[in-house]
Amino acid sequence: MVRAAVGLFGGRAYDGVSVDDLVSHLGVHRNSLYKTFGSKRGLYLAALRRHLADDVRPLADALAGAPDAATALRLVTSADLGLLVLAAVERAPVDEEAAAEVRAALDAVDRAIADALGAPADLAAALTAAALGMLVRGAPGSVGAALARRLDPSV
Amino acid sequence: MAQVRIDGDDLVVEIEGMNKLWAFKSRLTVPLANVRGATADPGIAADPKGIRAPGARVPGVITAGTFHLDGEKVFWDVRDPAKAVVVELADERYARLVLQVDDPRATVALVENALIR
Repeated sequence: MVRAAVGLFGGRAYDGVSVDDLVSHLGVHRNSLYKTFGSKRGLYLAALRRHLADDVRPLADALAGAPDAATALRLVTSADLGLLVLAAVERAPVDEEAAAEVRAALDAVDRAIADALGAPADLAAALTAAALGMLVRGAPGSVGAALARRLDPSV
Repeated sequence: MAQVRIDGDDLVVEIEGMNKLWAFKSRLTVPLANVRGATADPGIAADPKGIRAPGARVPGVITAGTFHLDGEKVFWDVRDPAKAVVVELADERYARLVLQVDDPRATVALVENALIR
């Protein structure tokens, strides 16, 4: 049920997901939704944490084995990060708990890239930021490849 | 219509206006430790509310008082479903409060922010 909430919250704005939407898409009674999660925000935070555990942690694990920047960029831009991106844009600025989750997840991605490429932390964070930007823009693979050529001239 | 405010470590709900005629109590004070969250939920008014006792329901006009649903006690004070906010409680007489407030978004933010601190 929390997994279904990941799909719902990852697909549209927080305010665009009503309790009616949650009740009908998750197949749960309104009463038990409130009893289990306390509020829509409580369910949202549970969904965000599930997304980070199910989708972002495996990405960080995969990044740890990336041989070059091109692979790292490709891994990030092809990952399912819908809820993370939306959370960073619309919830982190207004919700401290969501902000802390987003920060920790992005830090983990930065660290994995830094370790894999032997890159300084700042450069790894720049790569993560660039990759998320490409993801948001729906940039074609040639964009990441162009950046990677600058970073890995040997490739 | 209900006024919701934070007073120290308590959530204070004051029922005001003509609903006072119908609702059983005009003020509820709940320790924030027993408040689990708040949600704007216009759709809840369309759901079955359970059995009312005591309080009043004039269909289509006003829903106020204590309702019993699935073994839970729910306090209702809603005339305009568009402005309904659900406050979920723990270890209280009421499992939840369904309140009509002036600004649902502001009330939700007030309660949720008070819970983070």
